[in-house]
Amino acid sequence: MKTWRCHNGLLPILTMLGLAMPISVLADVPLETLKTQVEQLQMQLKAIQAKLEEQEQQSATKDDVYQLEKEVVQASEWLSPNTIVHLAGYGDVGYSKSYGDDDNGDFRVGTFAPIFHFQYRDLVMLEAELEIDVEDNGETNTELEYMTIDVFMNDYAAFVAGKFLSPIGQFRQNLHPSWINKMASAPPGFGHDGAAPVSDVGFQLRGGLPAFGGIRSSYAIFASNGPTLESEDGELEGIDAEGFNEDADGDKVFGGRVAILPVPSLEIGLSGATGKAAVNSDDGESIDIKLEGERDYDVYGADFSYQLMSSNVDWLQGLGLRGEYVKTKVGSTDKGEAASAGASWETWYTQAAYRIPSTKIEAVVRYTDFDSAVDSGDQKQWGWGLNYLFSSNVIAKLNYELNEGKEKDSATDSNRFLFQLAYGF
Amino acid sequence: MKRINRKTIKMMVGVVASLLVSGALSSSVQAFDYPVPGDFALGAQQWADSCTRCHNLRGPAELRDDQWITTMFHMRLRAGLTGEETRNILTFIQASNNSLPGGSPTKASLIDANGTNAQSGKAIYDQTCIACHGANGKGAIPGVPDLTDRNGRLSQPDDVLLINVVRGLQSSGSPMAMPPKGGNPELSEADIRAVIEYLHSSFGP
Repeated sequence: MKTWRCHNGLLPILTMLGLAMPISVLADVPLETLKTQVEQLQMQLKAIQAKLEEQEQQSATKDDVYQLEKEVVQASEWLSPNTIVHLAGYGDVGYSKSYGDDDNGDFRVGTFAPIFHFQYRDLVMLEAELEIDVEDNGETNTELEYMTIDVFMNDYAAFVAGKFLSPIGQFRQNLHPSWINKMASAPPGFGHDGAAPVSDVGFQLRGGLPAFGGIRSSYAIFASNGPTLESEDGELEGIDAEGFNEDADGDKVFGGRVAILPVPSLEIGLSGATGKAAVNSDDGESIDIKLEGERDYDVYGADFSYQLMSSNVDWLQGLGLRGEYVKTKVGSTDKGEAASAGASWETWYTQAAYRIPSTKIEAVVRYTDFDSAVDSGDQKQWGWGLNYLFSSNVIAKLNYELNEGKEKDSATDSNRFLFQLAYGF
Repeated sequence: MKRINRKTIKMMVGVVASLLVSGALSSSVQAFDYPVPGDFALGAQQWADSCTRCHNLRGPAELRDDQWITTMFHMRLRAGLTGEETRNILTFIQASNNSLPGGSPTKASLIDANGTNAQSGKAIYDQTCIACHGANGKGAIPGVPDLTDRNGRLSQPDDVLLINVVRGLQSSGSPMAMPPKGGNPELSEADIRAVIEYLHSSFGP
């Protein structure tokens, strides 16, 4: 059809040419020449045809424009939705070898911890972290590390409700992810069943305050269900402070943390919580918490962090110092059948990390002293580490821990070698 | 202890109630357009100050702009930032996340060479560069090259420096790349030349 159209266009031209030429001229032109001219005209015609087809392919129809407009509208929807969904998190794998307790050395999957963010404009965010790990027997263990709905009320206050990481100190709420923690392990007393609470269920108000004279500050205050206690052989053995949906003892725990930053690179924090707690497990078996007496439950914490960002002494730049102290005290009771005496757990650590200038290598040293309510839990630890930063969020760590416990050759007393590859995403 | 607890509880309830009321009132009058743009220069400084307190700095190009929104709101709670600080940092990161189209632009195609309204090199440095390079040019965060090094970055020809600033640069040993134009897409070639001149006069041999 297109060819016919083009021929139609060419015919008048040929006719005009023919009419314009005198008959005598045509008579003088040899047949061969005319043939050649016709062939040339045919070739030109083909070239014009090809050009027209190419133009037709490249030009947009109204339908094409409509489709494009539709795609542009859809693209802008992607750029400015009211709800944003984001998957973050971290994971780590590695190897550990403990010396002194017949450990063969094990390759290990540490933790896979996906973090889900669902945000509605700048008003509300739901954030949740799962902690998935593999037990020694191969079973997969999944726990809800935290799940909160955060309402951003104004520039200085956010209302946080749900299961949240404990605001006592800094390690649990800010430093425990493996791609952030400079060492391959948590400091003794700051892990699960330690002196520092891990998480809690309740309401929290937190935020940053306006800078005053260049000094910044932040706060977090909370009301929560609080922990439960474990006893064994007539003594308090542990605190379960990992967030329960039930306030078994009936008394809420209240607490918080305030932090000031006298200079941008230095943060000093004070934290504490007070309330009641009761024993719900004796010798590994659940007991009726209502028959057990309530005990005073108090936690105190202090922490600091200092990053040497800029210095006239070149080699000092890249040095980071931090430390943290937490003490948990549980009072006595004369009711119930579990342990009657009170107990306390106390731990502190200090850590120095140094990034060798113009390299991806980081050296770390950490000292921890954990004084547990039971002697078998006591531990003093020197940890030495050498890290290689593939990028800011992919880190390989080589650690050696010099451990000193009260029971010879126990897990808390055995030195340990650790390798960890951590990835934050 | 009971008396102390009751007092503490009453005080906390009072604080929570007053903050909730003030929060509810403020939110009702808040203009609700998100994310409200913040201050780029303040954001650069607050980004360098706040993030390194807990972890290595993550470069702006590691996430998309929309992912940075949720990440920054998450970090607002973790790092105890105010809403304003959060918006400032977000503005800096999103602006720094812009990369030039195309693979390897030539110097001629980089930017308009006829920028006649060049800002002062010091003013630009103080707003855009100082957060990472520091007031003394030695670097404010680990891994940033020392501009005072006699054989360092500033020993290269100005045309090379210009291209590096415009395109951005990954230094060896640095946790993140310098974003194109230091993260400030508004800078013209004349602005960048002014900064380079300032670098030579302040930190060069």
